[in-house]
Amino acid sequence: MSLRLLSRPVINVPKKENLVRGGVFPGTLPVLDRFLTGLSTMQSIFLLIFICCAITVVGMVVVRDLRSANNEAKNIFTSSIQGLHSIGDLQYDAQETRRATLYALTTKDSNLQVIYADQSRNADQRVKDGITRYVHQATRPSEVSLGERLNRDWNAYLAIRDEVLASILEGSTEEAVNLDIAGGVRAFERVRQDLQEVKRLYDEDASVRIANLMAVSRVSSLKLIGILCFTFLLSLAAVSAIQRVQMLGAMRLANLQMEFVASVSHELRTPLAVLNSAADNIADGIVKGDAALQKYGAILQNQSRHMSTMVDEILLFASTEDRKNRYIVQRVPIATIVETVLSNAQTLVRDAGVTLERHIEPGVPHVLGDLGGISQCLHNLISNAVKYGGEAKWVALTIYTATAKEGAFEEVRIAVTDRGLGIDRSELAHIFDPFYRSPRVNVAQIHGTGLGLSLARKIAEAMGGRLSVISDLGVGSTFILHLQAARSEDGQTIPASESTTTSHP
Amino acid sequence: MKIRTTLATVLLMALWSAGSRATAFDGVPSPRLGQGPFESLAIVVNRSNQTDNLSMVELRRIFLGERSHWANGRRITLVMRDLGEPERRTIVRDVCGMTEDQLKFHVLHGLFTGEILVSPKILSSAEGVRKFVFNVPGAIGYLRMSDLDSTVKVVSIDNILPSGRAYELKVTIQTGY
Repeated sequence: MSLRLLSRPVINVPKKENLVRGGVFPGTLPVLDRFLTGLSTMQSIFLLIFICCAITVVGMVVVRDLRSANNEAKNIFTSSIQGLHSIGDLQYDAQETRRATLYALTTKDSNLQVIYADQSRNADQRVKDGITRYVHQATRPSEVSLGERLNRDWNAYLAIRDEVLASILEGSTEEAVNLDIAGGVRAFERVRQDLQEVKRLYDEDASVRIANLMAVSRVSSLKLIGILCFTFLLSLAAVSAIQRVQMLGAMRLANLQMEFVASVSHELRTPLAVLNSAADNIADGIVKGDAALQKYGAILQNQSRHMSTMVDEILLFASTEDRKNRYIVQRVPIATIVETVLSNAQTLVRDAGVTLERHIEPGVPHVLGDLGGISQCLHNLISNAVKYGGEAKWVALTIYTATAKEGAFEEVRIAVTDRGLGIDRSELAHIFDPFYRSPRVNVAQIHGTGLGLSLARKIAEAMGGRLSVISDLGVGSTFILHLQAARSEDGQTIPASESTTTSHP
Repeated sequence: MKIRTTLATVLLMALWSAGSRATAFDGVPSPRLGQGPFESLAIVVNRSNQTDNLSMVELRRIFLGERSHWANGRRITLVMRDLGEPERRTIVRDVCGMTEDQLKFHVLHGLFTGEILVSPKILSSAEGVRKFVFNVPGAIGYLRMSDLDSTVKVVSIDNILPSGRAYELKVTIQTGY
């Protein structure tokens, strides 16, 4: 029998690294690939927040630049219009001053001459105001110098203009013409050249401002393109990372399912092989005598029970997965729970030779839950503790009250503790995943389906509770079932200071 | 014959004299203080003119064209209002001591003989007078007190300003109708 039992089926499970080899960025961005896939959830969130902040800051800078460029363009446009209007007005008024003076020559009517003189003086006052504004707004030394020169030349022309006007009004037309030819023409030509120079300087200034604006716009455009490229690359990387994670998750699930199939097949074939061997031995007449038959009967009984338990577990998992299982949450006395759990685990504990200690806090209230669910959940935890309890052969069941994490209600905690292998910190996040089996337990040849803890958690959550774990590698593990305490005052309580130990050889 | 000629000449002179007296005041009495709503008529010159005071005699000579230049050598330009304006009547009557016809004859005679170089400039409004005087350094004209502003300079006559009680040049106040 022993020889027959050694022939275990072997199913080759593809290695995860073989499945994921190649990745999303095969040889393209391996560093980024490793970096992104190596991030935890919190790190990913922080990275995302950081990138969002960075993009926001750079975006604000670009928007500010663009707004600044826009304002500058508006200013240039507005000041160009105003500047051109001002220069145009200045040139027109200067011409108007001279034109009105010369118009006075065309008539002998003193009344009309006075009107022309008045027009000339009004125009020259507007020119003076324009020059004053220009000097006031001048910033560059060349503009200031030009403004002063224009003012000087204009006053020189006005002095001659006044003499010309006086001569015209006095009736001395010839004298007026002579005065204008002698000085007025040259003086006005100087003014005209000054105004041309004003326009030239203004054009130069406008050209410089436009060049600056174009430079700012160019920089802003480059920044914008940079942001768009960065955002595009980031989005590409994020999409790739998401796809990678989804693919890894799918591959991991597939891997777990394959491992599960292999494990279940193995677990089912083992008792089948034993049953087969025992049946063969009996049929072949190898087993003789009542004692031997009883021994083989016990073997058949145990193995068939083991197979039955395994099938039940798989069916239970399937039912919880399909949400077909419904638990009736009601007040359940702690004493009933303890009694049921110990009764269920009696055979398991006895067969494994494990010492099961009970520590129950006095006055623990009833809990809200389903007795069957609680029993199943605790049975799974005790089975786990027995299976992975190592050489210590010790398991403790501790029941006590505490305030829930949310602080809103009181809860009852039922802890199952062992002094076995413990769980590596990196594995804590996965132990409640269905079909998950630690590589260390595979190495240690500890058989299982990887469904026990997953089932326990689903049952706990289905009853409104939760399941938590505290574990140190090599020291042991404590699984805690958190159940809400019933608020009924007539609940049955466990007798005070009950602490017993069930020992089995 | 000689006696008849002499008598005829005397008769014509008498008639001319009577006609002249009859038109001397054009039926409008010379304004006197306390005789009605009058205001002073100021003599104004350009602000650059150094003259502050003129005697009535000098003023008469200027308006009759007998004086053509100011003390600084600048040519004098006379500014007159239109014929029939109260201000002109005051100047012709009280400064020139003539009738319009006499003044016209005098000016034409002066221009013809070359004694008067430039005829007076005729302006139709007080504002025109003010602006003309403002623009011409050698100009002299007249304005009601109510028409004065800072663009022209007022000269006193015989050291009496237009605001003085003894100022002689007066003109009836215009009501606007």
